[in-house]
Amino acid sequence: MLLRLTTAILMQMKAIMLATGMALSLPFLWPLGVCAQQSQAPNQDQSAKESDIEGGTMFATSCGFCHQDGGRTAGKGPKLAGTTRSDDFLAERIRKGKPGAMPAFGGAFSESQIMAIVAYIRALE
Amino acid sequence: MAMGIKYLTSCAALALAVMAVAPPASAIDASRLQDAEQNPNDWLSYHGGYKSYHYSALDQINADNVKNLEVAWIHMPGRSTRGLQSMPLAADGVLYYSGSYSRVYALDGATGKLIWSYFPELDEELVSMQTHSPYNRGIALGDGKVFVGTVDGRLIALDMKTGKPEWDARLLDSKKLTVGFTGAPLVVKDTVIIGSQGGEWTSRGPLFGVDIKTGQKKWEFLTVAGTEDAKATWGNDSWRTGGGGAWMPGGYDPETNTIWWGTANPAPLYDWAGADWQKSGPRPGTNLYTTSVIALDPDTGKLKFYHQELPHDAWDFDSAVGEFLMIDRDGRKLVVHPNKGGFVFVYDRANAKVQNVWRLAKNINFVKDIDPKTGELIGRRDLSLGKASSPLCPAIAGGISWNSGSYSPKTGLWYKIGQEWCQDIEVVKTTPITEPMAQLNIGGNFKLVPPPDGPARGHLDARDPVTGDKKWEVTFSEPPLASVLATGGNLVFVPDSRGVLHAYNAETGAELWSHYNGVGHNGGIMSYTAGGKQYIAVPAGWGGMVADEFPALFGEPYKSMPKDAGALVVFAVK
Repeated sequence: MLLRLTTAILMQMKAIMLATGMALSLPFLWPLGVCAQQSQAPNQDQSAKESDIEGGTMFATSCGFCHQDGGRTAGKGPKLAGTTRSDDFLAERIRKGKPGAMPAFGGAFSESQIMAIVAYIRALE
Repeated sequence: MAMGIKYLTSCAALALAVMAVAPPASAIDASRLQDAEQNPNDWLSYHGGYKSYHYSALDQINADNVKNLEVAWIHMPGRSTRGLQSMPLAADGVLYYSGSYSRVYALDGATGKLIWSYFPELDEELVSMQTHSPYNRGIALGDGKVFVGTVDGRLIALDMKTGKPEWDARLLDSKKLTVGFTGAPLVVKDTVIIGSQGGEWTSRGPLFGVDIKTGQKKWEFLTVAGTEDAKATWGNDSWRTGGGGAWMPGGYDPETNTIWWGTANPAPLYDWAGADWQKSGPRPGTNLYTTSVIALDPDTGKLKFYHQELPHDAWDFDSAVGEFLMIDRDGRKLVVHPNKGGFVFVYDRANAKVQNVWRLAKNINFVKDIDPKTGELIGRRDLSLGKASSPLCPAIAGGISWNSGSYSPKTGLWYKIGQEWCQDIEVVKTTPITEPMAQLNIGGNFKLVPPPDGPARGHLDARDPVTGDKKWEVTFSEPPLASVLATGGNLVFVPDSRGVLHAYNAETGAELWSHYNGVGHNGGIMSYTAGGKQYIAVPAGWGGMVADEFPALFGEPYKSMPKDAGALVVFAVK
């Protein structure tokens, strides 16, 4: 299970690096992956846990409420597919939000989760 | 000594002078609140009285002279982030209202001049992490105090004359739970009752009863698994995912000493279990007491009875609307409650047994029907994992939203807004969230689309509240999101989303007058008198979760409509 989780993290990070040209080292990635946890109700379907750092799943958990059609069209929040904003900008907006418009998720998501969401946004068509 | 007497004499003279100009005030006690409908000069509680009529019997402003209605005064509160959503109150010629960040104002009802204001210090870091924030939807009056909830989990009592805090009670650990209070409190005898927000959070939707004198918590009712029986309706301990916010103030039936309250949906909003929701998915079971109306003893918080309008709500069509219309008809004592899904439920006030169910919204397909005799859902459309083959109706914004309609005992008609829109929906299997704060729990992606029968739109219906029989209807190109006001002057006022306040003939629906307030309406509307003159007060100020859908769906003027501007606009006949 841990191996599969780690693989999933690395795949997400690879996607981010491909998209952003970020040269992140493995020793840097590992502790981020370890902290990528969401709490879960006891006795829940354990297979869902693997999706903890899957950007699309996290998007549907928290972001799809405002960024409609999985971020492909404008809704309460703006359309994200094809955004010209930088990865740094997107990550910072997720962390700090926008007063009066978007909540700050920096206290809820780990850095690796934020990067996974950014990677999901980058992959939108 | 002589100086002392002179000083005291001066003070007495000053006091007399103040008394001469100040309006006569009597205590707002239990009997005055209970008899609120008998005194239309005041508007003492969110729903205008325990019967939730939102009706003013005043008739100085009427169908004959409404053409002469004009702005009497305006109050600009500033910092109206996400709109002015509150319902103003009035007592003895003084108007009280709240704005964003739970800021409270007391104004001279005739002139709008400030008597006092109160700006609570809030946890701004917490506010920045909340979705349903920082707006405030209203206040309550009683025992010489003004009560306001805060988004960081407090209920504050202010001296009605000075605005000075008398007590400040922390009821929720909002740092941990994210949710706080945006809805107005309800005062019943010596108890202030307030419910917390939240259908998408891990909170358990608590409803609190607080001592009106001291601010001490008297009771707390958990709308999520609040009893052992209810806990059994959440398989796999899924009650930990929460929801069920008791957002909006409910109604009170003095004859049986019962408060009626509506609750929000369970989390996550969407469920991938499909028809197998009793046994699998993120929250197996009916999920009591979410999407329910609950009847509690206001003195103890004990549950008397309930009806779950949508067992295992899998669509976010909750019961959080706070409107509980107390209607006596043919010897029957009834209560009428609108559900977000677009249906209206009629109950027996003694036990919440369903007496009728009728449709206000036209585009509904989350069920085929609801049995009008039993309330049973017929032909549920339980969504499965992946994209739905056709749009879900209504959209997440609901066939009915949280603001209130208005019932006129004079015409026997209930004036209520219906909303027509649907959504494409894709259900996504997510990890149930039980702990982290500031993290929503939706379980899907969606996109609002027009309904099958035409463009997305809204409508004001004039209907019999018990049978649903329609007398007339006015269509709006976008749903009005604010409350409605019917008056004894044979008028119905509708503050619309574009910012236009309309007055209609209550019998026919003919438009008699309109005025543009400059920005969309998303709050209350009420009427009162000051110095013997009738006024109509409406907050203008756009924002909030449903309003945020408008730019993408309708374009202008919503794309460029500010979401931080607001004004209280008060009208009188010249």
